[in-house]
Amino acid sequence: MGNIIRIGACLPRLRLDRRAMAQAMGWLVQGAGAGRGTRTLGFWDEDSVTLAVEAARAALAGDRAESLSFCTTTPPFAEPQNAALIRAALRLPGLCRTQDCTGTPRATLLALHAALETDATALIAAGDRLVAQAGSLAEARMGDGGAAVLTGPGEGLFTCLGGASLSLPFLHRSRASGSDTALDWEERWQREAGYQTQIPAAIAAALDRAGVAAEAVDHLVLPCPIPGTGAAVARNAGLGNARLAADLADHCGDTGTAHPLMMLAAALPQVAPGQLVVLAQLGQGATALVLRAGEAVRNHPGLPGLDTGIPESNYLKLLAFQDRLDWDRGLRGRYIVPEAQSTAFRNAEALLGFVASRDPSTGQIRFPPRADEAGEVWPLADRGGRLATVTADRLAYSRHPPSCYGLVDLNGGGRLMMDLTDPDAAELAVGDALHFVFRVKDIDQNSGFRRYFWKAVRDTAQV
Amino acid sequence: MATGLKDKVAILSMGCSRFGERWDMGQEDLMREAYAEALTRAGIDPQAIGAAWYSSHYDDIGAGKSGVPMAMALDLPDIGVTRVENFCAGGTEAFRGAVFAVASGSVDIALAMGVEKLKDTGFAGLPTASRGMLVPMYLPTHTNPGNFAQLARAYEAVHGIARSDLKRAMAHTSMKSHANAVANEKAHLRKPITIEQAVQAPLVADPLGLFDCCPVSDGAACALVTTPEIARALGQAEPVLVKAIQIVTSNGWEAQQQGWNGAYVHTTRRAAAAAYAEAGIADPRRISLTELHDCFSITELVTLEDLSLAEPGTAWRAMLDGRFGADGAQPCQIDGGLKCFGHPVGASGLRMLYEAWLQLTGQAGPRQLGTASTALTHNLGGAPAQNVCSVTIVGL
Repeated sequence: MGNIIRIGACLPRLRLDRRAMAQAMGWLVQGAGAGRGTRTLGFWDEDSVTLAVEAARAALAGDRAESLSFCTTTPPFAEPQNAALIRAALRLPGLCRTQDCTGTPRATLLALHAALETDATALIAAGDRLVAQAGSLAEARMGDGGAAVLTGPGEGLFTCLGGASLSLPFLHRSRASGSDTALDWEERWQREAGYQTQIPAAIAAALDRAGVAAEAVDHLVLPCPIPGTGAAVARNAGLGNARLAADLADHCGDTGTAHPLMMLAAALPQVAPGQLVVLAQLGQGATALVLRAGEAVRNHPGLPGLDTGIPESNYLKLLAFQDRLDWDRGLRGRYIVPEAQSTAFRNAEALLGFVASRDPSTGQIRFPPRADEAGEVWPLADRGGRLATVTADRLAYSRHPPSCYGLVDLNGGGRLMMDLTDPDAAELAVGDALHFVFRVKDIDQNSGFRRYFWKAVRDTAQV
Repeated sequence: MATGLKDKVAILSMGCSRFGERWDMGQEDLMREAYAEALTRAGIDPQAIGAAWYSSHYDDIGAGKSGVPMAMALDLPDIGVTRVENFCAGGTEAFRGAVFAVASGSVDIALAMGVEKLKDTGFAGLPTASRGMLVPMYLPTHTNPGNFAQLARAYEAVHGIARSDLKRAMAHTSMKSHANAVANEKAHLRKPITIEQAVQAPLVADPLGLFDCCPVSDGAACALVTTPEIARALGQAEPVLVKAIQIVTSNGWEAQQQGWNGAYVHTTRRAAAAAYAEAGIADPRRISLTELHDCFSITELVTLEDLSLAEPGTAWRAMLDGRFGADGAQPCQIDGGLKCFGHPVGASGLRMLYEAWLQLTGQAGPRQLGTASTALTHNLGGAPAQNVCSVTIVGL
């Protein structure tokens, strides 16, 4: 069995207050905005692909992977394969085997289970920007996020001792192809016939394969959006001694395919080396993995960004960002985003991988890179930079006006006019330190085609 | 060894349409309006024109590519028409083509025309220009107010100018141009404004407000150029002569490397130095009048410095002191400039030369300056970080 080397996670910065959701929709739908606290709200240019990329950057920390599984229930593209874009953004080798894993939030644990059955260095990158009917319980409980793990033969956070995946035609949630929102069946049935039955069955099989007694388990990490279910599951599975990992409901909500890894990352500060963790999730059956913590969990900071969000009390931003509101974009908003696939492919390393060129004779860095000279490949994604000029433009079309952009002096040389993103971009000033994130560049309003590029955000780590 | 253009070519005549929201006219009509004026003033037969240059920027809302739309609109006499496009410097680029043709001895009389029909887009401001397939994949969705707002923010940062002082100086710049345009019957905007109105106007791109931005206008302007000898033979005792034309185009240094501080326009400094050398001008402050590319109030302030008409970091104060007003020591935008005459992109360079020619030949009517012997026009196409700049000097 393989090991989990590293976990990365990415939470969008906006935190939508559930009281605002209740206020906006509660008069119409009972249960709108149910629960306490906040849920994450992906910015307009964040989607499952960008969230997975950011999480994967943290999980890789410069390492390579032999395979990449992109796990999501909200792929931006039905075709092409989304993982191919993610591989290019992460600049993993071309021979990295890529696949999309979808259809259930359990896709992540299914891919992880398969990877841990081998010694392969595999990247499992999950991301979801979930959509539910306006005012629904699901909308209040869910959140947007990305999480990733790197597996391999080396020392890491966890060693997998055994795992089991159970498949059942249990359709507690269904969504037809072409439909944006799912239908959830009765919650009591989900809880009793689903969580409290299928999860214990998978856990029993996994423990058996791992040769571990139920009472030896120290932690249970189980995403379940139905409050209070985890304790009943632990009881039914005989994990009476296990500590239930926080479900993060009050902070970010259930982030779908990302959530098992999100909860595992958040639980790390409570896990001691040598302890046993069961990681499980439901979805047309269940997967359970038995993990033994390694030395690397000691002093782990946990889930970054959990408590540093930006409060948001405007529910309409959720509908606008998810393109579910026919708002007045003005004539400037009616532009075509040409696919230009041959151009995009020819420049894929520059555009998706964010690579410039360096002229060895002059030292000049250029973006777009010069392909016609003996220029060195000069990756930019992890360099960061400083803002040289800036504006907040109220005339340019933007899905979150004003449109903020400016010249960025790239650390190590070179300069590029870049979009500045995130809700607080307008506060950036000349001289501010920046780091770069992979985001949606444009979305065509008619075809739905989207393209990606790198943008700049404030870097709080750089002084 | 190149000897430059000085005194080799004369402006025989010029024409300019009324600028503004010309809902009743297409680009062909606008060109005909300007052309008719130039022909009447020149008193020549169109058959005497040997070659023509045609500037327009937007293909998608304009008359289309090539020289054909102009040759057809003006019924030109089976001559070569070359279409040029160089952003907002296109008009000057067309003029340069015509001047080169005469200076080379290739033709006796050449025509340069610039036109733009902008008010068929359905919205205010310039449309996003097509930049091919690759560039929009990484460049932000920017506007020109956004591009030049960055110049303003760098200018105040580099020179330590308080936002309130800069806003007031920019407002004064626009107020001055509005006041000048009242006397210009061809101007797009002919209503005076107050400094307070400009300071308090809604922001378009921080810190530029509505009155810091020039309008987009429909319009056309043209020049007929010839040799000084032919101009005199046609009755012009003291024709306006071309002293210098210099165009400098960004090569990526400002936008891709880190040497430029964002508070000036590199190409303007280079073009100005070359133009002063070509024209033999030692002290630019003695130029009688200037028509600058005041697409935004901040552009005018920074350009005054880049042209050495004010010391770096001081133009804002000199503007507030009235040095560039109609009765100041260095009148600037006497016709209202881009700010009020209007800005039909491909025509603006020729519109500036139209005013320079009127002033130098004493035909400027109620806005005629006392004695004018030299004039400078300046175009800036693109963004401060990446642009085409032209500096032209004409004189008696």
